[in-house]
Amino acid sequence: MKNGLTLFLGVFATLALSWAGVLLTAQRQFGGLAQYKDPADESLNPAALSGIADQGRMVYQDLGCVSCHTQQVRREGFGADIGRGWGTRQSVARDYLREKTVLIGQARLGPDLRNAAARPYADAEYFYNLLYAPQSVAPGTNMPSYDFLFDVRPASDQPSPHALRLTGRFAPAPGTQIVPSRRADELVAYLLSLKDTYDYPEARPFVEPKQKEGGH
Amino acid sequence: MNSPDNNRLEQQEIDASAKWPVLTFLGSALCWLVLGGALQLGAALQLHTPAFLGGCEWFTYGRLAPAAQNALVYGWGMNAAFGFGLWLMARLSASALRHGGWLFVAAQFWNLGITLGVLGILTGASTSFELLELPRFVTVLLLVAYALIGLWAVSTFCLRNTEHVYVSQWYLFGAAFWFPWLYTVAQVMLFQAPVRGALQPLVNAWYVNGLYGLWFVPVALAAAYYFLPKILGRPLNYFYLPAAGFWCLVVATAFSGGSRLIGGPVPSWVATLGTVANFVAVPAVVMISMTLFGTLAGRYAALKESITLRFVFLGLLGFVAASLLNFALSLRSVAVLLQFTLVGELRDWLLFYGCFSTMMFGAAYFIVPRLTGRAWRSGALVRAHCGATALGLVVLTVTLLAAGWQQGKLLNDPAVPFADLTKAMLPWFTARSVALMLLAVGHLAFFVNFCWSVCPFGSAAEAPAEFHLPPAMSLPAKEGHA
Repeated sequence: MKNGLTLFLGVFATLALSWAGVLLTAQRQFGGLAQYKDPADESLNPAALSGIADQGRMVYQDLGCVSCHTQQVRREGFGADIGRGWGTRQSVARDYLREKTVLIGQARLGPDLRNAAARPYADAEYFYNLLYAPQSVAPGTNMPSYDFLFDVRPASDQPSPHALRLTGRFAPAPGTQIVPSRRADELVAYLLSLKDTYDYPEARPFVEPKQKEGGH
Repeated sequence: MNSPDNNRLEQQEIDASAKWPVLTFLGSALCWLVLGGALQLGAALQLHTPAFLGGCEWFTYGRLAPAAQNALVYGWGMNAAFGFGLWLMARLSASALRHGGWLFVAAQFWNLGITLGVLGILTGASTSFELLELPRFVTVLLLVAYALIGLWAVSTFCLRNTEHVYVSQWYLFGAAFWFPWLYTVAQVMLFQAPVRGALQPLVNAWYVNGLYGLWFVPVALAAAYYFLPKILGRPLNYFYLPAAGFWCLVVATAFSGGSRLIGGPVPSWVATLGTVANFVAVPAVVMISMTLFGTLAGRYAALKESITLRFVFLGLLGFVAASLLNFALSLRSVAVLLQFTLVGELRDWLLFYGCFSTMMFGAAYFIVPRLTGRAWRSGALVRAHCGATALGLVVLTVTLLAAGWQQGKLLNDPAVPFADLTKAMLPWFTARSVALMLLAVGHLAFFVNFCWSVCPFGSAAEAPAEFHLPPAMSLPAKEGHA
């Protein structure tokens, strides 16, 4: 190859074709995907995130939760995602229209969170406790504590209704109470919004149309 | 063809013109290597000792791990690639680096951008997109810095005084051109005019794949194609294979990004195209390996004499291993088991550290004495670096492979509670920390030796044993002026 021009054109074409062939084609195919209107009750799915949950998404982003948690459920028969109760169906592209930044993740040092709020034990108290003292609700986990999202306040005659109810070795020091900060509230609101339950036509299994009844 | 004396003189002029810009880039790269390695070790420790730095928001795992990765990739990796790439481009183009002061400015901008960016991640401004975590406000700094560096590389190439364009120059030229394009497209499609929904992970995967495959791998291969014939004093064995290997590799790599999304919420053609592209990359890897290992064949004794060759050899092994792993992970039957495990981390890490970083270590051991005119001060530190790197690489690779395999098996067994899985992983996490500690020792040895050798004061060098010219190097190399 003596000719610099040939090299330049080849180098140019390589990435231009890749960009057009992968990204632009995908954008054309599903970049314009819209919410699905339910034929029965005319609701739009997925519903948009509430304001506080959307702020929680930014807390999720700034704390780097994606370093350990994926948000994608693989289809039945491809891994044990559904068997583990991480979802009742595979995640599809339309599910992600609700988030402004889509962090599907690529490491499962912790469990998948795409349907974190759909688990039977998952309520606000569970997530607050998990964030403050992970061992208190998930013994054996190596998740770090996010105690900096909580304020330690002196216990008064009228304790805060939001104060965490922790017992045993996780209980706050005598005379103090643990109250979630605004960011903790936002993050928990986001976690509580993680629930892809709507059954889109494209999410139904192609070969086996048999309905799955929940996790194990 | 120049006479040997003229050739030497010309090389000295080129090296003199490149001295300060290249030393600046390599010096900053080394600072980031030590810092990034330390942050990476800190993050690794947290996986088995969650209380380590636990109460500190800045150093929570979700921030520390990406900060370490960005410090290593953009701080160490890019700076090293800039220093090495500019030097090699000048050498192979037989053309001095003109107006090097601007490169100095570019280096300051780049390092300022990375410093602000890493601090931004630690303080909570991360975007959480892999390898694009640096907050948006540093993008302009980085692009301005890169514009200067890329312009210098390309203009040095265009002003070349040689007839022939050598293989290493293809790779360097391509990389210089691809990186800004990949980076700009990712920035625009994710932040300026963001695409919606599941397209975002696709853009991210395309960028990450491109950054590793179309920037770090080409720079690493440019080093291998240069140093092997150069130090062995023997031309490349095959004439057409390098060209075929080059085009096959870069075209395949450009299309293989989708294979990272197997099983993900994107249309299946995305992943299938990536898998097909990874199949196409196999002959490329075979051709490149045949050329490079063919040049080395029968000369393995030379590995004892040259520290650069030892690192380049290590880097070649890393390249082959990383390519094999990448190929394996793009098969659905393997991905279903290993996709989200530590093996996924190993794939990128082998390319970046096992292949690229080791090549850059070798290159630095070759370049720095020629720029400063002095040998490395301490032979013991050189040997310590090489030993720690080789050992650390082996331990880490074996650990992550075994750990990822077990992790995948347990993840895919719904009867195993997650707490048991974490418990089973703890010994592996500890082994990983030990390996990273080994690598950090190597980084420190390299850093100390570099500072000591570049420092203009003090006694004469004491490590001539690690730096002597094989007889063939005093002759004009067969591929041209350089």
